[in-house]
Amino acid sequence: MNLNDELAITRDRLRFIKNTQSANLCYLAILLNVFYFVSIYKSDVGTYYYNILIGASIVYNLVFMLAVFLSSEEVKNYNRKYSYLLGVIGLLQIARIFIIPMRAHAAKTVVNGKEVLVMHGGQFTRVCIYLAASAAFLLAAAAINIKKCNELSEHMNSIGAQNV
Amino acid sequence: MATLNLQHIDKIYDNNVQAVFDFNLDVKDGELIVLVGPSGCGKSTTLRMVAGLEDISNGKLLLDGKDITATPAKDRDMAMVFQSYALYGHMTIYENMAFSLTLRKENPNVIHKKVLAAAEILGLTSQLNKKPAQLSGGQRQRVAMGRSIVRNPKVFLFDEPLSNLDAKLRGATRREILLLHKRLQATMMYVTHDQTEALTLADRIVCMSMGHVQQVGTPLELYDEPANVFVASFIGLPPMNFFDVTVGNGVLNGQGFTVKLTEEEKRTLAAYQGKEIILGVRPESIEEGTEVRVDVQNNENLGMNTLVHGYVANGGPRIVAKLKGWKMLKAGDGITFSFNRKHFFDKETTNAIRGGK
Repeated sequence: MNLNDELAITRDRLRFIKNTQSANLCYLAILLNVFYFVSIYKSDVGTYYYNILIGASIVYNLVFMLAVFLSSEEVKNYNRKYSYLLGVIGLLQIARIFIIPMRAHAAKTVVNGKEVLVMHGGQFTRVCIYLAASAAFLLAAAAINIKKCNELSEHMNSIGAQNV
Repeated sequence: MATLNLQHIDKIYDNNVQAVFDFNLDVKDGELIVLVGPSGCGKSTTLRMVAGLEDISNGKLLLDGKDITATPAKDRDMAMVFQSYALYGHMTIYENMAFSLTLRKENPNVIHKKVLAAAEILGLTSQLNKKPAQLSGGQRQRVAMGRSIVRNPKVFLFDEPLSNLDAKLRGATRREILLLHKRLQATMMYVTHDQTEALTLADRIVCMSMGHVQQVGTPLELYDEPANVFVASFIGLPPMNFFDVTVGNGVLNGQGFTVKLTEEEKRTLAAYQGKEIILGVRPESIEEGTEVRVDVQNNENLGMNTLVHGYVANGGPRIVAKLKGWKMLKAGDGITFSFNRKHFFDKETTNAIRGGK
């Protein structure tokens, strides 16, 4: 390795430092998902949420957090496969906007004889931002990890190492 | 690299216990100084004062001529290696070595170069992704040294770095420290209670006892010309034999033996005619001869040498001799010795009587 080549040194550093950038983005995505989860359900909208979707949503949130946390540990060690998983989860976060928030925003329910919006505009905007930002962080984590994996792989090939 | 001057340094604790008395030393650029002495003699306290981990009660500490007596440890540009390694268990070796530079917010690429260079010097390149728990004691100590090297400090301080290692590893790591010193040409202060480390590593040794400097000199000077009984007994393994003797006419009369003096020895002891002095003889300066009859107590065969333990005949003092070759002696056997190289010490002051070669 040429010690005067800054790019080569930057790449060589990848052999010894963890991909904390991707991992930290994963933690942020989890945090935003928690914000989403605690701010979506309201008790003053009657029985609107009393259906199978709420159960599925709770289970999905648990699976989401577990999967993203495990992926964060794997991408820390430059495991390329988990980048794809993060990418899929990120796209699902965007899809989730259309499952509960969008429907709730369009729905009305009767409470105490008055018709009210299940999800008013402010709350809708907030939860959409949480999900969209969470998705963006996951996709960024995945992209960064793939880029670093490629760089590391190229560098290892250039120095003739057997294992990445 | 740097020079270090310790001028009239005292250490007095809050409870008025004084650990170091009037310590004076000039450490030259690139010199490896070893502080040696028994436990509690103040050597580690002195090193910690140099590092800035202990306040200096009196005196001055100069680094490259600049007074750093009151300078905080972090600003002294010194690196210390501890007996207990002090590595971060959750970090990899690379991260441990890079840690101090990361804290200083140095350029990551510069840190990388320095860590790789230090790892290369210490043979740790293949271990950089491991955690400290996965390394042996010797390797961990090398990591601790590497952490110091990457900082490129003016002075390296070692506080009994080999004490946690087994005998074999201690020997290997000792050689590595010596090679490291030769390679870096760095100013180093090294504390140990092990005289073998002191003799093999040091450019100069500072021998301490009860907070006082007993002698400063090269390993050979301390071995060959000890300043007093303490240094003579501390340096050398097995320790020197001591006998109370009276200076006679061309002879020394001890309990149960008489030894002849050479002309030079007679001149050295001219002022002590008829007085009692302490005669010191190293075990390796004893050979089979005609002057001192000894009753053998036991012997230890070391391969190349044999240690003979016994008592001077007719109720004389204890004596240990290191004879060349493999000797088959058993308890009760008699053997007669002669002394080659004698050391003389004043009985009152315990200081060496000079010129006694």
